[in-house]
Amino acid sequence: MAPRLLEWRTRSTPPQESAEQPVVSVSVLQRRWRKFKSLKRGYYSLLLLLSAYALSFFLPLLVTNKALVVRYEGRWYFPAVKSWLVSLPLVGGLFGTDFYSGEFFGQRGNSGECNYRLLKQQYESEGRGNFVLLAPYPYSPIEDVTVEGNIAFLPPLEQDPNGFIRLLGTDDRGRDVFARMAYGFQISLSFALILALLEYLIGVPIGAALGFFGGRFDILAQRLIEIWATVPFLFLVIIVASIVRPNFILLLLLLALFTWVGITVLIRAEFYREKAKDYVAAALSIGVPRWKIMFKHILPNALVPIITYFPFSVVAGIGALVSLDFLGFGLPPPTPSWGEMMSVGLQHLATGKWWLMLSPMMALFITLTLIVFIGESVREAFDPRTFSRLR
Amino acid sequence: MWEYFLRRLLLTIPTFLGATLVVFVIIQLAPGGPLEQQIMALRMAMGGEAVGGGVAGQTGAMIPESALEELRRYYGFDKPILIRYLTWLGVWPREIESYVATPGRIRNIGEGRQVLVEKTSEGYRLTDPQTGQPLTGWHIEPQRNERGEERVRIYRTGFSGILTGNFGTSYTYNEPVMHLIMQRLPVSLQFGLIGFILSYSICIYLGIQKALAHGTPFDLISSTLVFIGYSIPGWALGAFLLMLFGTQTFIELFPLGGFQSENYAELSLLEKILDRAWHFVLPTIAYTVGSFASLTVLMKNSLLENLSQDYIRTAFAKGLSEKRVIWLHALRNSIIPIAANIGYIIGLFLAGSYLIELVFNIDGVGKLSIEAVFARDYPIVFGFTVLAVLVRLFGAILSDLTLALVDPRIRFK
Repeated sequence: MAPRLLEWRTRSTPPQESAEQPVVSVSVLQRRWRKFKSLKRGYYSLLLLLSAYALSFFLPLLVTNKALVVRYEGRWYFPAVKSWLVSLPLVGGLFGTDFYSGEFFGQRGNSGECNYRLLKQQYESEGRGNFVLLAPYPYSPIEDVTVEGNIAFLPPLEQDPNGFIRLLGTDDRGRDVFARMAYGFQISLSFALILALLEYLIGVPIGAALGFFGGRFDILAQRLIEIWATVPFLFLVIIVASIVRPNFILLLLLLALFTWVGITVLIRAEFYREKAKDYVAAALSIGVPRWKIMFKHILPNALVPIITYFPFSVVAGIGALVSLDFLGFGLPPPTPSWGEMMSVGLQHLATGKWWLMLSPMMALFITLTLIVFIGESVREAFDPRTFSRLR
Repeated sequence: MWEYFLRRLLLTIPTFLGATLVVFVIIQLAPGGPLEQQIMALRMAMGGEAVGGGVAGQTGAMIPESALEELRRYYGFDKPILIRYLTWLGVWPREIESYVATPGRIRNIGEGRQVLVEKTSEGYRLTDPQTGQPLTGWHIEPQRNERGEERVRIYRTGFSGILTGNFGTSYTYNEPVMHLIMQRLPVSLQFGLIGFILSYSICIYLGIQKALAHGTPFDLISSTLVFIGYSIPGWALGAFLLMLFGTQTFIELFPLGGFQSENYAELSLLEKILDRAWHFVLPTIAYTVGSFASLTVLMKNSLLENLSQDYIRTAFAKGLSEKRVIWLHALRNSIIPIAANIGYIIGLFLAGSYLIELVFNIDGVGKLSIEAVFARDYPIVFGFTVLAVLVRLFGAILSDLTLALVDPRIRFK
């Protein structure tokens, strides 16, 4: 068996690298990107995740109980588009209201929000030339049993009283599980991405300063970081969240307050190594200001930990959000969130409502696994060592 | 080396103080925290309308008055936060007993003790009515009751806090927090240790096999599984397994949570063991999966790295068998980074499992403390946080110690 082992060893040293080396010189980043593309699992995971995330921004047009187009008495209305515009941050106020009552469209006796699904049936039976174009999946994540035709605990692929099929059933309040799952994806991923950026915003400058200046400042700060890392942060966030009931922004800040330590340690080590190199001494000797050396000269050379840590930071962010939501201390209800769906699912597990648990669980598993695949490939592409490793 | 560890031990003291200070300040200063809930509850108790309502008002009202009194005394809410922290630690004196007595009448102060407060020309005097001896160490504070009659409050101060082992009294269980934690610790420890041992033994073996089969389909498939395991939080996997194997919907193989069956006491020894094992399977998987991926990959990479070293080539060249080279030469060096992780992983198992205990309904320390968060039982919450900090601190030291034991090259200075 010994020869096989030795043979493998020679294979693992990169001989193909020189063979594939193109004649035109390519930058390090280009070479890494090519390497990343050659790692099929990570590359396709990235494509899949990016397209799913891009698609999720169109959810208000794809998965919503508002009609895309209503033609009523010769006039055209676009409730879903309007509701999407209104929900935009900052400029949303310019578009007025997205509310159309049922009576507005001739739905008798409904002065509340128009039920477009019933409206479609009504127009079709009337045959007066009015019509409704519903969204591809005409249910919203927060419409519950108070909307006519929604019943609680409808199993997947069964008809509700109005004859509509629910892909993944409904939950304890009659809300559509598929719609909640889809919106939950958008919220979880956005949350984790912003959280990771926030972490970087805090952690990178601190780590850079520690590594660059070193000395007593570094020793003192290291002690503080050790203290910060010793605090059981998720439990502490749970406690604080149970007291203050956070919203999206507050929850982000609260988590960022504790999670920046991870990247700081990595950046510090990288800067510590880099500052001993000649180009830093050269820059110093011609009088380049220190902040410029740190962020213009060293930082581009310290990109490896910054980029390779990012996917794992996103995984941790989603995990933290789901845990908090699961306990009921996360985003305020009725925000569609996977953690909240799981906690409802766990409550009703014994009575056989399996779909409440299965759907968010699969969504979480698949999303996280895709990100880990991406992260692992990114690491492999950036790391001269040939074997894979997790953080 | 022992000097190094002594220094490490001493360094844990400032870290412990710093970490507990951070926890204490954040919880105390959070708007609507213990302090504000206390004020709100007092306002409501004094007959005012439910001020503001809000989350704090809804549950805060359930805390009994005596518990609030105890809480206020325990945290000393009228003092500045640093003093409150020191008091909580037990290095600043706090009131440990307080009674209201009528001058000239004997007052029972529990445990069969009696005191007598007498008014003298220069103030009040406290004596033991049985012996007539004056009592020392008590503070006397004159006050009037609601009918304007003369009363005195007598109290004694002392050092009592987490450093003296006093974590306060839980007001949902009405028992000392220390006692509650100690009661549930064995349950958590059983799961933690079994999970720990299992994950170490499986990960080392799997890592070796993966390293030897690097690049083969077995390696690729197991890597995929390992990555999936890495991405999933243990408690979520636990809930998923419960759905698959704990209910009648799919396959009912295991119980829907719990630590042992209801008729556990009536079972024979063998049945007891089987019953425990039956309850242990799913939670143990959930515990194990958390550290599984990183350990396996660490083991694999470490062995791979060692296998490409010159001393392995030498060993093969002088004709040693592959078994001997791998298991005796390469493995001994590859184990080092794994051993260095031991403290960190132990910490995860001991203090990071509250969500798993909640999902599986295991009556351990984790479930106790997360339920205390729901019930706003702050003494338990603080107690658990201190425990978690301690476990992390000693985990780090344990890691260094193990590293020094398995790697003779390491000399700490």
